[in-house]
Amino acid sequence: MTEAATTDIAVLLSIGRHPVSGRARRAATDAQALEMALSLRPQRLTAIHAGAAADAEALRDYLGMGLKRLTLLVLPEGSDPVEPLIAHLRRLAPSLVLTGRQAEDGEGSGMLPYLIARGLDAAVVPDVVRVGPADTSDATPGKSAIVQALPRGQRRALSVTGRFVATVHPSAASARASAFGPARRGVIEPVTVEATADLFLSECEHRPWRPKPRLMRVKRGGSALDRLKAATESKSGMGQLLVNPTAEAGALAIYDSLVEQGMLP
Amino acid sequence: MTTTQIRRRVDPRAERAARTILTGQRPRLLRQPVVAAVNERRRDPRALRSAALVQSQPRPRYDWTRDATSPTTAATVGIAIAAAPMIPLKVIAEPAYLVIAMLDRPGGEIGEHDRQVIAAARLLADAGGGAVVTVCTGSGEALAEAGSDRHVALPNHWAEDYVPERRAAAASALMTALSPRHILFPDSPDGADVARRLAAAAGERLFTSVQSLGPDRATRQSAGGSLETAHRPTRLMTVAADAFAPLDGVRHEARPLDLETSSVAAEEVLPRLGGVRRLAVDPDALSLSETDFILSAGNGVTDWHSFADLGEALGATRAGSRVVCDAGHLPRERQVGASGTVVSARCYLAFGIAGAPQHLQGITGVRHVIAVNTDLHAEMIKRADLSVVADAQAVMPALIRLIRERRHD
Ligand SMILES: Cc1cc2nc3c(=O)[nH]c(=O)nc-3n(C[C@H](O)[C@H](O)[C@H](O)COP(=O)(O)OP(=O)(O)OC[C@H]3O[C@@H](n4cnc5c(N)ncnc54)[C@H](O)[C@@H]3O)c2cc1C
Ligand SMILES: Nc1ncnc2c1ncn2[C@@H]1O[C@H](COP(=O)(O)O)[C@@H](O)[C@H]1O
Repeated sequence: MTEAATTDIAVLLSIGRHPVSGRARRAATDAQALEMALSLRPQRLTAIHAGAAADAEALRDYLGMGLKRLTLLVLPEGSDPVEPLIAHLRRLAPSLVLTGRQAEDGEGSGMLPYLIARGLDAAVVPDVVRVGPADTSDATPGKSAIVQALPRGQRRALSVTGRFVATVHPSAASARASAFGPARRGVIEPVTVEATADLFLSECEHRPWRPKPRLMRVKRGGSALDRLKAATESKSGMGQLLVNPTAEAGALAIYDSLVEQGMLP
Repeated sequence: MTTTQIRRRVDPRAERAARTILTGQRPRLLRQPVVAAVNERRRDPRALRSAALVQSQPRPRYDWTRDATSPTTAATVGIAIAAAPMIPLKVIAEPAYLVIAMLDRPGGEIGEHDRQVIAAARLLADAGGGAVVTVCTGSGEALAEAGSDRHVALPNHWAEDYVPERRAAAASALMTALSPRHILFPDSPDGADVARRLAAAAGERLFTSVQSLGPDRATRQSAGGSLETAHRPTRLMTVAADAFAPLDGVRHEARPLDLETSSVAAEEVLPRLGGVRRLAVDPDALSLSETDFILSAGNGVTDWHSFADLGEALGATRAGSRVVCDAGHLPRERQVGASGTVVSARCYLAFGIAGAPQHLQGITGVRHVIAVNTDLHAEMIKRADLSVVADAQAVMPALIRLIRERRHD
């Protein structure tokens, strides 16, 4: 049942960065992951961040959402958070780990949840919008029901065996606002851990991003007039035309066309 | 002024004489793609004129809308002209190394993003005589034209099932069997998911969402889009959407490779994800830019009850033209067009919409348009793939009745 999976939850929180001002803040999908964790009302909820102690102030935004305490695994600048997180989570052994989709700062490759799942020997489910059955028929013992977001607003229900890591999709429930009082009162518990430096990232070259010209689908060949037309004109259908049919005949033509397009069963 | 800048002169009379065929009752012209032979940036009015010439006697008639180089023109005249030169087949018999492109193939066809991934893989392969191996369900000529040298087909039923763990296991088996230099994935939700699973299993670093690629440098956006990070191309990479132009005018082999082992290895994986099914979503809760099927109303619609019922019966998202939203029949966020939402639905069913330019701009990306309008000369009728010149108030109830009837059968 879902009950078992949601009694002990760990949330991984990273520090976000405002896209324009560059100020440190709570990361958007990580805050949604915390929101999801809070609304599942687990018996134990552990929030963990791995990073430099200097970043601790930005983490108070998460405490302001109603979190009492947050574990900070203190790492030196430029080290890899994966190993310390796996070691810490192995000790906690939560049944569900919720994370954001992609970090807003640093590499932001979205690999961390997959590496954690590998380290914990757990399943990983991307783009989750809801943990819990989509409807009552879904409850199976030993499995957790999940709803996943697909492109174009579609949803998919699935079930997961055993413990799992879930990354939260931006269209999940939005995060509650962060309140000042709880943010001050919340406790950040630093834990010193061993970490290795991230060699790959130090090998990379960084420079400010410059927007690139957008890729346009140009039609090659033809005259200048043809190319201008292809670039500017909207496609006009070379359709079928029914002039003054009866309402029934018109409706039937539309129906058949929709079936052909796969829009109707 | 050098001679190379002077346009090649044509002697229209001599050309015309050479192309005149004297069989049959009256002289006819053999048409050749004259326009392509001369400088394509120049307009050659004579060539255009002669290409459009349908019949020279007893009086000339012209059809300016026809495409001079298309084969249909030849068919109407009754003379077969030589087919356009075939694109030569490019064979890489002994590849120096392999680059794998793992494709999504959404909805059973090679998508735009898949083509871009193949183009990116070609960049890496062509730099040193390597070959591109595509991996996806199914096969087909489309892969050869997109630039694939070898193809590994995955089991067909994987196209419908959601089996990320199996796909990752198959990719992992291919990685050991073929030892490719690079494996590229589309940076789509499913493609990137499989890439990350493979990277975690193989202990390789994944370079995600690559924006530019060269033999010794790949770049991506990082730190929330504020930095450009560059590195040597890593073994596993995902390719951002719309960063590479898909290839055209190429033809490769797409020779099938028989690698049963990969899918056999994958079928042995015990998947932890299961019980997959699609959920029904309320079409009116979707935003217009997301939805796939839109039912749209214009000023020609007066029966709003039928319109609402029809939306429900079709399972389509309701929308309207500006006039309708201004009048308060639909909320503002349901307006399609230049000052509303630019939609990318697959199907757009329009009742009583005239098709003002501002409205048509909003539906340029729509694949299939159906229009119902009382005015035969409305712009919307011209744009549509199926046009019905009839009263919207009569067609809507008839369509509702038809759908309910068919559903009960
Ligand atoms: C700056 C600017 C921005 C704009 N942006 C937008 C925009 O974003 N989106 C937009 O839609 N418009 C926009 N417009 C308005 C646009 O120019 C048109 O005025 C508008 O699209 C017309 O809407 P319509 O086709 O519903 O109405 P009409 O032009 O009134 O057309 C009604 C159509 O319904 C047909 N009809 C009448 N009775 C029936 C019947 N019983 N059965 C079937 N058909 C019938 C008529 O033949 C006619 O073709 C913009 C205009 C400006 C100036
Ligand atoms: N240093 C970190 N500490 C805790 N969680 C993290 C850290 N870095 C990343 N995460 C989590 O992993 C997700 C994906 O991160 P990334 O793989 O870096 O894109 C983020 O949304 C966070 O939930």
